Amino acid sequence: MKFVDEFRDAELGRAVAGEILSLVEPGRHYKLMEVCGGHTHSIYKYGIDDLLPANVELVHGPGCPVCVIPMGRVDDGIAVAHQAGVIFTCFGDMMRVPGSDGSLLDAKAAGADIRMVYSPLDALRIAKQNPDREVVFFAIGFETTAPSTALTLKRARAETVPNFSVMCSHVTIVPPVRALLESPDLRLDGFIGPGHVSTVVGARPFQFIPADYGKPVVIAGFEPLDILQAIEMILRQLADGRCEVENQYKRVVPFEGNLRALEVMAEVFELRPHFEWRGLGFISHSGLKLSDAYADLDAEARFSVPGVRVADPKACQCGEVLKGVIKPWECKVFGTACTPERPIGTCMVSSEGACAAYYNFGRFAREREVV
Amino acid sequence: MGADICGSHHCVTCGDDGVAMQVVRIDEVRGLALCAHEDGTKETVETALVDPVAPGDTLLVHAGTALARLEPAA
Repeated sequence: MKFVDEFRDAELGRAVAGEILSLVEPGRHYKLMEVCGGHTHSIYKYGIDDLLPANVELVHGPGCPVCVIPMGRVDDGIAVAHQAGVIFTCFGDMMRVPGSDGSLLDAKAAGADIRMVYSPLDALRIAKQNPDREVVFFAIGFETTAPSTALTLKRARAETVPNFSVMCSHVTIVPPVRALLESPDLRLDGFIGPGHVSTVVGARPFQFIPADYGKPVVIAGFEPLDILQAIEMILRQLADGRCEVENQYKRVVPFEGNLRALEVMAEVFELRPHFEWRGLGFISHSGLKLSDAYADLDAEARFSVPGVRVADPKACQCGEVLKGVIKPWECKVFGTACTPERPIGTCMVSSEGACAAYYNFGRFAREREVV
Repeated sequence: MGADICGSHHCVTCGDDGVAMQVVRIDEVRGLALCAHEDGTKETVETALVDPVAPGDTLLVHAGTALARLEPAA
């Protein structure tokens, strides 16, 4: 397939791996974070880490939209789903995220009308087909998904669909990255920037990373060669003593992002003062809510939600995994009490989650020879 | 269940990752396009965020919305 096959060429991949090897200084340890869960998934699906020298370590970032949803937020969704006359819609993986008393899937089994959708547009269609029911869309995701929700809200307004509302749990990527950079227990040398978030926000929002923290950032695509080349570009910056934002994914990501998407987001959303992230705690201005102009379509205003903060299960170390402090297999319950079939923590739920990626692709033992 | 939804493939239902889709048909009035995945399955896609599209164009689609064009219009 065009745009795919040419970025999976094994021979080119080995050539880039050779370049990477030539750029690393023996004895120096390189810790690079891939911010986006999509990259985490690709890295383990294609075995990219096996092509890297042992002193280049990839750390998984907080960019899986399911993994960062706190339990209390799931409880809020379940509470809305149980209200009379409600059809609750959400993306597939969100249904399996455990709340304090089961998941949305458990609530569905208990009788709540919860339906999986592939897009907010599908949820709006359900609302039009069921005018006597209240249809709520549980909106999650970073800036990649937020424009989709925003356009659907505009469409709901334009087409006058009064029984549609959105429970907004969209988040933004920059605040958690800044929080990670401020974290004393994490030393990073560079970032693989999120490809499709950047399609929307552009490269500019990441300029604070080299400017304020002196770390290189390379925005990357999701094919194996994209990721390998991004790693090579980061290591080259480090070898040259440079730090800047570079764009490996120019075929998709414009420097300025998608201005129409940013406009529609600015119209429909506004920043929450703070939002709770699983494992990372409350981060200022990191979550989106509906703007005043769209407040009448806000499910949290239309329905009562408990809004109770729930602590993560003690055995679960998703927080440390999300911060890259420990590897998934170092968690006490990884692959035993916590599996993709019965997840305890969110990182085991989504295929983008670091734990599920390790589990599915068999990356249990991580002993490699040092260069 | 997760395996049913996602298999060993990337989950596009909630991942912040787009997929390439080809435009099959356009509904100009509603600003929508019928687009096909590589395997032939079709889906309705919002096209408000990309320039006017034509059948045959390849778009980067995420959660039912086209975020970018992957090649110039034919």
